[in-house]
Amino acid sequence: MSLLRVRGLTKEFGDLVAVDDVDFDVEDGEFVSILGPSGSGKSTVLRMVAGFEEPTEGEIALDDVGIVGSPPFERDVNMVFQDLALFPHLTVGENIGYGLKQSGVPADERRERTERMLEMVRLEGYGDRTPSELSGGEQQRVALARALVNEPALVLFDEPLSSLDRKLRQHMQGELQRIQLETDTTFLYVTHDQEVALAVSDRLVVLDDGRIQQVGSVEELYEAPESRFVADFIGDVNAVEGRVTGVEDDTVVIDTGDDEVAVPRDRAEDVAVDDAVDVCVRPFQVRVESADGDADDPADADGAFSTTGIVRSRSYQGSDSQYGIETDRWGHLSAEVRSASFEVDDRVTVAWDAGDVHVYRRDGVDSPEEDGGT
Amino acid sequence: MGESPPSAGESADGSGDGLAADGGSAPGVDGRMSGLTTYLRERPRLRTLAIAGPPYGILVFFFAIPLLAMLVVSFQADQIGGAWTLHNYTDFLTSDTYLTVVWRTFLISVQVTAIVAAVGYALAYSIVRFSRRTTLLLLLVILPFWTSYIIRMYAWINILQSDGVLDSLLDLAGLPTLGLLYTDTAVLIGFTYVWLPLAVLPFYASLTNLDGDLIEASKDLGAGPIRTFLSVTLPMTINGVVTGIVLVFIPTFGSFITPRLLGGTNNIMIGMVIENQFKSAFNWPFGAAIGMVISVVVVALLVLATRLGGGLFGTGGETA
Repeated sequence: MSLLRVRGLTKEFGDLVAVDDVDFDVEDGEFVSILGPSGSGKSTVLRMVAGFEEPTEGEIALDDVGIVGSPPFERDVNMVFQDLALFPHLTVGENIGYGLKQSGVPADERRERTERMLEMVRLEGYGDRTPSELSGGEQQRVALARALVNEPALVLFDEPLSSLDRKLRQHMQGELQRIQLETDTTFLYVTHDQEVALAVSDRLVVLDDGRIQQVGSVEELYEAPESRFVADFIGDVNAVEGRVTGVEDDTVVIDTGDDEVAVPRDRAEDVAVDDAVDVCVRPFQVRVESADGDADDPADADGAFSTTGIVRSRSYQGSDSQYGIETDRWGHLSAEVRSASFEVDDRVTVAWDAGDVHVYRRDGVDSPEEDGGT
Repeated sequence: MGESPPSAGESADGSGDGLAADGGSAPGVDGRMSGLTTYLRERPRLRTLAIAGPPYGILVFFFAIPLLAMLVVSFQADQIGGAWTLHNYTDFLTSDTYLTVVWRTFLISVQVTAIVAAVGYALAYSIVRFSRRTTLLLLLVILPFWTSYIIRMYAWINILQSDGVLDSLLDLAGLPTLGLLYTDTAVLIGFTYVWLPLAVLPFYASLTNLDGDLIEASKDLGAGPIRTFLSVTLPMTINGVVTGIVLVFIPTFGSFITPRLLGGTNNIMIGMVIENQFKSAFNWPFGAAIGMVISVVVVALLVLATRLGGGLFGTGGETA
């Protein structure tokens, strides 16, 4: 039995379908993120779980009890708001103790639990300050403590870290994971930031245009994205246009212009002969070698995609370097290469194994860049 | 209330700074600065005086000096220029009749303020939280201001008098008539109607500034609607509430037209007594003394109320 069960969840605002038939589960003790671009409906899902919006259709069950229709103050969930929504007229301690006061916890116990929670988020001695006296990171901790102190079955997060700078955000990610383990609470986290989602979550629910694109562990989504959208949204990806020329028992043959490459069948599911496809590969799986002029097509015999090109840009990323390469055959590609050094304008060969690609049919599946900018 | 002219002066001062800085940072436009601007820019104290001077001048000439004159007159016997005396004060403060009128005035003012605050808050809240036609509704609230106060009072006389509009309607509906004119109820109705917009505007301003997330956060943390109102909405808007209450309480306490027109002869308020001293009894010193006492009492009450309001809700909201 899942802690949170969402089935057929739909929300319409007038003609706009913000959330469209969404199903997912959150198990007890899990850290699940709902990931999607702006306007994908992820916050609406969260607000329906919290009770601030009523679904048009569908059900939400917490601990196997339907909660649709019950007001927010009767639900055993607490939310950390995007802009935190700390009460400015109350002290930090009063903010944290607010929920306990509402549920009639006596003052002594309230103070004790508030103290313990301040300790948990490492803000000992801050109880008498007002929220405006705290830094952004400290306010985040107060908001977290205010939700956790009530020991809810589920804590909801509406992108609370998005306002922090990168370093503080990474630190808070670590803190979130530590606190989740220490308190043994279930977290449901909404974000558009794949970096945050990948870093903190056990499982991801990828949402686009109100519909679920894929649900799975972080590894599954990164290594086996089911669509071009998911591949693009979770990590960077290169896409090369091609056409399916043959489907066999364990391989699919794809024509990418000048030559044909056989791709393992499990890397190109749901395609048929003559389909226009995208062949997608992660930048870190792209090999870059110096081109010596004599070997124009060095590797198409041994099941690999390859072309030649010119290095157009280079950026250091610590241990790796990221190259932007203008290829002769497939336009611009990016490659992440370790322990190799090319200069801009160097002529190189670019190749990757057929076993590392994912092939998707090009039937109007938009990439996040195209529809995620709202 | 006395604080608004200085703050207006401050903002005018701020924009003056912006202009001056603009001129200074762009050398090419120096020629566009008038001689006066340059002259003032080099004399910051004179500039401050030029901007803040007029409002303070108005305050001094039209409020401080008359008040002082009133204070002086209140210590003179029988007429302006009479012998110095404390009699005006002792007469007033030892007279049961006058003190009863003050008490009556206080009770009516409290009732009016309470009714206006409750109705006005509900109105402002519904405009902010539940309505899309905010501008239209606010316009409707302000619209009565475009009609003269006196005319609106005469309209109420028409409505409330025996066989007036209200009674005719009640009669048509087969209900007993009320004949409300010249009663305390009529005075309350008149005051509530007249002062409601005055309270709705500050209530509205503070409620618009209230972050809706705070309400949701409160509900999320287990507080029902009433608890949320008392521990978040009201404290966060307390400054607006206090402003509205002050704006209603002061004019009600000093009012003499509404009680005279709607309340008849048995329902005297202290403003009527003062008016009478100036216009019929021609005892200006006595009227001035009553005015001074009432001013002190009202200011003391307001200071007390503000302190109490602030104390009840801790640091108070910073939104209003």
